[in-house]
Amino acid sequence: MKNYYDSMSRGGNMSLFGNVDLVALGLYIALVLIGLLSITSASYDSESTSIFSMQHNYMKQLMWIGFSSVAAVVILLLERSYFHMFSYPAYVFGILMLLACLLFGREVNGAKAWFEFGSVRIQPVEFVKIATALTMARVMSSYSFNINRISDLAKIIGVLLLPLAIIIKQNDTGSGLVLGAFIFVMYREGLTKYLYFPAIFTVALFICSFIFAPEAIFITLLILFAAYTLLKTGAVLVHVRFLAAMFCAMILLAVATPLSAYQSIMIVCAIAAVALGIIAIKSRALMLLWPVMMYIYAMLFVPTCDFLFTKLEPHQQNRILTFVGMKSDPKGIDYNVIQSQIAIGSGNFFGKGYMQGTQIRYDYVPEKHTDFIFCTVGEEWGFFGTLFVISLYVALIFRLMRMGERIGETFGRVYCYSVAAILLFHVWVNVGMTIGLMPVMGIPLPLMSYGGSSLVAFTILIMIAIRLDASTDDKSVYSV
Amino acid sequence: MTRYDRGFQRFLHLRLVVLLAAVVILGRLFYVQIIDDKYDRMATANIIRRPEVEFPMRGEVLDRNGEYLVRSRVCYDVMVVTSNIPKQGFDTVRMAQILGMDIEKLRSQISKARRSPRAPFLVTGYLSQEAKLILDEGHFDGFYTRFRTAREYPRKIGGNLLGYVSEVTAEQVKKFPYYEAGDYIGVGGVESAYETDLRGEKGVSYRIYDTHGALKGSYFDGAMDVLPVKGSQLVSTIDGRLQEFAEELMKGKVGAVVAIEPSTGEILVMVSSPTYNPDLMVGRERNNNYARMLHDQRNPQFNRAVKAKYPPGSTFKLVQGLIGLQEGVLRPRDMHPCSEGYSYGSRKMKCHAHRSPVDLRDAVATSCNAYFCYVFKDVITNPKYGAIREGVKAWNEYVYSFGFGRKLGSDFYGEGAGFVPTPEYYDRKYGRWNYGSVLSCAIGQGEMGCTPLQMANLAAIIANRGYYYIPHIIKGIEGRDSIDARFYERQYTMVDSVHFVPIVEGMWRGVNEWGTSGGAKLEGWDVCGKTGTAQNPNGKDHSTFLSFAPKDNPKIAISVYVEHGGFGATIAVPIASLIEELYLTDTIKRPNLVEQVLNMTPNYSHYDKMQKKYDAARAAKAKK
Repeated sequence: MKNYYDSMSRGGNMSLFGNVDLVALGLYIALVLIGLLSITSASYDSESTSIFSMQHNYMKQLMWIGFSSVAAVVILLLERSYFHMFSYPAYVFGILMLLACLLFGREVNGAKAWFEFGSVRIQPVEFVKIATALTMARVMSSYSFNINRISDLAKIIGVLLLPLAIIIKQNDTGSGLVLGAFIFVMYREGLTKYLYFPAIFTVALFICSFIFAPEAIFITLLILFAAYTLLKTGAVLVHVRFLAAMFCAMILLAVATPLSAYQSIMIVCAIAAVALGIIAIKSRALMLLWPVMMYIYAMLFVPTCDFLFTKLEPHQQNRILTFVGMKSDPKGIDYNVIQSQIAIGSGNFFGKGYMQGTQIRYDYVPEKHTDFIFCTVGEEWGFFGTLFVISLYVALIFRLMRMGERIGETFGRVYCYSVAAILLFHVWVNVGMTIGLMPVMGIPLPLMSYGGSSLVAFTILIMIAIRLDASTDDKSVYSV
Repeated sequence: MTRYDRGFQRFLHLRLVVLLAAVVILGRLFYVQIIDDKYDRMATANIIRRPEVEFPMRGEVLDRNGEYLVRSRVCYDVMVVTSNIPKQGFDTVRMAQILGMDIEKLRSQISKARRSPRAPFLVTGYLSQEAKLILDEGHFDGFYTRFRTAREYPRKIGGNLLGYVSEVTAEQVKKFPYYEAGDYIGVGGVESAYETDLRGEKGVSYRIYDTHGALKGSYFDGAMDVLPVKGSQLVSTIDGRLQEFAEELMKGKVGAVVAIEPSTGEILVMVSSPTYNPDLMVGRERNNNYARMLHDQRNPQFNRAVKAKYPPGSTFKLVQGLIGLQEGVLRPRDMHPCSEGYSYGSRKMKCHAHRSPVDLRDAVATSCNAYFCYVFKDVITNPKYGAIREGVKAWNEYVYSFGFGRKLGSDFYGEGAGFVPTPEYYDRKYGRWNYGSVLSCAIGQGEMGCTPLQMANLAAIIANRGYYYIPHIIKGIEGRDSIDARFYERQYTMVDSVHFVPIVEGMWRGVNEWGTSGGAKLEGWDVCGKTGTAQNPNGKDHSTFLSFAPKDNPKIAISVYVEHGGFGATIAVPIASLIEELYLTDTIKRPNLVEQVLNMTPNYSHYDKMQKKYDAARAAKAKK
């Protein structure tokens, strides 16, 4: 164990650029270049005469890469304490930007999440990510911070909820969900399992509530619950009787009274849950209390979920319904996903070759150079291409996590983990969306998708991590 | 250290989460890209959409002298993809002018097309090559043309004979895998009978389209494309000039003319009247023209020459005589009396006034009813058969051997079988029956039904003295050495050649000495003929004439049948004679007779009444 940490730490205080993590930098550059190649292929127009015209997306992206390089150099040259120092002001500025956007922003695809300056569009949420990551790092690295203390936990949840609320108000929920990725960081920082297990349970229930009927969920949970206590106690007969009594009661209620099957099941399950809770407390069988609480929670959560769903915008409802397969419209939202899967799926092992992808060339893939840039990789480079690109992302995420561990102090670690979490979320959602694993959310593929905001933001995000990692010994500067 | 330890545990957990996420994504990618190949097919279907058919030129049909009966000309379908029409629209007036369409019609077509804006829609067909060039120059975005061919008829003859070309129906598409919706197929006549030769082979080309439907080039540089192969040219047995002349003569009359070259079975003329100009079945007005014909109660689309069932009338007496001779119940010198008819039981089969008694030759020449009643009676009541039933059966076999009561097996589409009554038929009709019940068959009346083709074939059989070649309409197919072998085989009747001598003699006398067919006499050519006057329940008698010429080495055998034309001699004889004259001498020396025939219009009150009733019913229906 000790050896591992030794191997991760770095000796001596060398010059700044000498300490830059070249692996992370190399992975960053590789992904940006692959992105540029893909954008070129996706937007190449053989009928256009001038290859270097600024009309082309790849030329614009090249300009943004240049801009990002400048930003990267500037960040690497900055004193690392600045990041600690400016985290709160950046956060406040970010929130103000979001609010300003809400008031004066421009609406794109139904989301009022953009500023427009001439031909340049900026999405403030990209930069709010950076500010939030820095603020999270600063809060969590503050003296005597304990994530498992309610007040401290409330602080960081507050830090996340404030921008999230504004983003949802902007109707850009997809981008806002990235803030949920911070649970990754919180886990690393020792969040108790009594909090993240319910969180996972909640997410699972949320998804199940769309796919399955509530009756099915309750009955399944009831059986799982019985199986759990059976394993703990070994009293077979009691459990058989218990379940039999439950089902008899349900059927009796449904048949003999004017109640519907759903209502009967709800009533019986509720009575059973309350009764079990009382029994658990009275007999001090605390191992029962835990699942009973989960059960009651589920009974409250699932109907609430259904209710909340009706509060969503129709297009959001459609996306979720399409994703869970309850609604099919091949020409609507599904169309994008089907076309993107056709493009990727027709790539086979080695792909069709650079610039040879028919689905990309002939516009069958929508948003082919922005959100669906991964299709170009899939169609033109095949499974080997996608394997390679996914490997690069995994390597970069691993590297960031390792850098976080290596820094050895909380601010840097939380920050590096935040970057890793944001990257993971983006890659998972974006690639998952192109192959039908996730609903369509309008989230770009980091470093590869065409777009200035996204590229510059991710560059800054990653470069700060590299900068923090580049000099690990001068932690004195931000001892409060 | 414990804190680090727990942190390190969690670091490992989180790495596992990242790896798990990557594995799920890669697993799904592996499935989509490598295992499931449906996406490959969908990708191809996306860009190609559907293979594009290139239509071949349909084969031509020549007449026996090498002149075109049917040609194919180039024309174009005008297609539109409305999503490619510029936002500011296009010059509708100019477009309508170029396409030769009504503006309103064009607008309604465009709005129909807009229902599925990206799918090609047929605006109109039959655009000439010149108009196509003007359209191309106009650069109307969204519009394009598709190569097609249309039929063209230089002589405008033989509507029923040649058939026409039409789009395939849904049932045909289901039944024949060769065809797809939008393909053309021959309907009726030669077009249908020789469809597989005429249609050629469709070509196919694979072109790539982008998502907006814009053409992006050919798939694999056209390596998979197949060029269309032009249909075969056919050489018909028809004599175009003769056919046109015959159609002219039959104008205003309902009936049929069939002429056959006896030495080969080649059909020289086949007219079904009323006929129609085959050009009516081509072009934009096609549907209207077709509907008009459909409502015509004289039914121009019905090919009487091969489908109608006419009573053969007196011409059938020839067959009767031949059977009697072969059976040995009749000798040419046998005399039978005729007291203006033939009495049996309390009834009498009437005859016209002529000298009595007569022998076979004169009976043929004068067309004596009584004589052939005696002959028929002798045939079917021949003691050697024991019962009348067996006698009729034997008689049936003879009649079948002449090609009656069955399909001849010609190459003509929709050939009818006619009808010859059998003992079983009489059982069903009468229960108990005797000689008197079947007597009307003796003179080709009653239940007897023959197609004009069968009657012409009878003329050919007599001309050949006992055999025929199966009549056919196509004698050569491009790329093939011969037509079907069955057309080269002699088909013998059950009557020996020697028995034909007195019959031919009688037919010769009927034309050249004294008899019913005098009008068919042609100086220098020994024309033989037999008239017929067939009674029918719908009005005036049908007029028919059966003839061949010359008597020795006959070149043409012909049957003319005019519904309600009265005596055979009145209409059928001059028509047949004029056709023979043109064919044999290449000129018409009797223009007065032509004039006379053209002016003959039988009274078709029967059809007129039907038409009136039908129109009234349609009008009533339309009102509703």
